[in-house]
Amino acid sequence: MPGPASRAAAIIGAAEANEIGYPETPKTAIQLHIEAIKNVSDQTGIPISMIDGIFSAGWSSQIAEHLGLHPNYIDTTSVGGCSFEMHVHHALAAIHAGIVNVALVSHGENGYSARATKGRGTGRPQGGDPWSPDAMFTAPYGVAGAPSNYSHAMTRHNHVYGTTPEDFAHIAVVTRQWATLNPRAIMYSKDTHPAGGPITVEDVANSRMISWPLTLLHVCLVTDHGGAVLVVSPEIARAAKTKPVWIAGAGENMSHSSMLEMGDFTATSAAASAANAYKMAGMGPEDMEMAMIYDSFTVTAGITAEMLGLAPRGEGFTLWKDGRAAPGGKFPINTNGGGLSFNHSGMYGMQLLVEAYRQLSGTAEDGGFSGDKGKQTSARSCVVNGTGGSLSTTGTLVLVAD
Amino acid sequence: MAEYNKPIPQPDPHSQPFWDGAKEGKLMLPRCTTCNRVHWYPRLICPFCHSRDIEWIQGSGEGRIHTFAVQHRAFGGWADETPFVTAYIDLNEGDRMMTVLRGVDPNKPETIKCGAKVRIEFEKVSDDVSISFWRVVEGG
Ligand SMILES: [Zn+2]
Repeated sequence: MPGPASRAAAIIGAAEANEIGYPETPKTAIQLHIEAIKNVSDQTGIPISMIDGIFSAGWSSQIAEHLGLHPNYIDTTSVGGCSFEMHVHHALAAIHAGIVNVALVSHGENGYSARATKGRGTGRPQGGDPWSPDAMFTAPYGVAGAPSNYSHAMTRHNHVYGTTPEDFAHIAVVTRQWATLNPRAIMYSKDTHPAGGPITVEDVANSRMISWPLTLLHVCLVTDHGGAVLVVSPEIARAAKTKPVWIAGAGENMSHSSMLEMGDFTATSAAASAANAYKMAGMGPEDMEMAMIYDSFTVTAGITAEMLGLAPRGEGFTLWKDGRAAPGGKFPINTNGGGLSFNHSGMYGMQLLVEAYRQLSGTAEDGGFSGDKGKQTSARSCVVNGTGGSLSTTGTLVLVAD
Repeated sequence: MAEYNKPIPQPDPHSQPFWDGAKEGKLMLPRCTTCNRVHWYPRLICPFCHSRDIEWIQGSGEGRIHTFAVQHRAFGGWADETPFVTAYIDLNEGDRMMTVLRGVDPNKPETIKCGAKVRIEFEKVSDDVSISFWRVVEGG
């Protein structure tokens, strides 16, 4: 039995900024937001003035002011890359409660442009509390940035389950196969990036060591991205010119903030957030036909697949290794080419949403691997899972085609 | 002594007993007097039973490697020391600390084992602050 909020709202559009990836001239975060918002308004025919709720990772007041809006619901949840899946969860709840009719979820992050200007990126707030647990008890030991933390999870998974970095390398290889079908992907081809195009397990193993056991090709890109999604009430969804994708289930959870408090380095709170989402949907992993799984690192995707119930513990990587997750496989995963090979701006949750909408609404314009115009897959259901922080926070959505 | 060029933590008031102990080469750990469990990092309330009755005890300074990684890229003073091995240590008293491992070869990570026994040592990094490091004393 689905829960009361199941399908109480739908996504009716998902758009990106005019230019994503490695723009030739530096973009600001607000520019990436505004371009995507204008584009999703044009796509759906919903005027920006109809937006009555704004959901973003810390930017909602700036966005509202920039647009001249006075929204009735302002959500700034910013807990890492999964924030956007949580925003959809919160928008669903707000619409179900009758508070909001048109919710905007927006993302703008200039991970690449910020490097060009020697900045630190302006997509998310930077923590500077010298008395935070990490400042006192992990930063003194030279860890800096996500790769230096996530590598500890790979080591533990290898130890507990007898897996190897090569097992996880298959995730990078298959995800790259998807990227070669997506012209918007940074790693689409040698024309889009000198290291683009297909890769092998050996390429992954032989790439530069970043944080053992993670080599460079186990690690996501650093790009610019702007994306915007409209979540609306069923009445507006049915009247819209675009196809609705229904939010059958949504859930969120967290296990820790600092990795100091990560109890099990081979598990994340996605088990709990997915349980919440599946319960609301009245569906389970066996009902899912594709997945969009946050792949900040190969290990993130492998562990998350296990948490989502798509594979037994210790065997998440087999979905990629045996080809099920690959183009033409029975269970497509990360059809855009992932954070590993498509685009990863720092927080990747919006990219997951955009791709899930494109696939389930049949509006992907990338040729269509399956032969279905506008789709790389024939899936009608998709589990979407964002992961934020140091494998800390998770948001899960069960999305279904109309 | 060459000036310590890596991040020096600024102790906060409620973790001060740990830092005071560290200066004397002692591992001081917070323990809840209601449920008797040790927790790390220091809290204002027990994360297990939510009692606010917390005492400080001297730990054994022994533990085991829970997991580890070899950092080949780092910033600031640590950049000069790459590769180095970071690790999470399961304390004999319970809960877990982070550290940089000593007594290991970062170029041979396959020789480092989860479960290996480690012992704490302290390094004075400023007049006010000593930092804990852990050294492998026996294989896993
Ligand atoms: Zn207690």
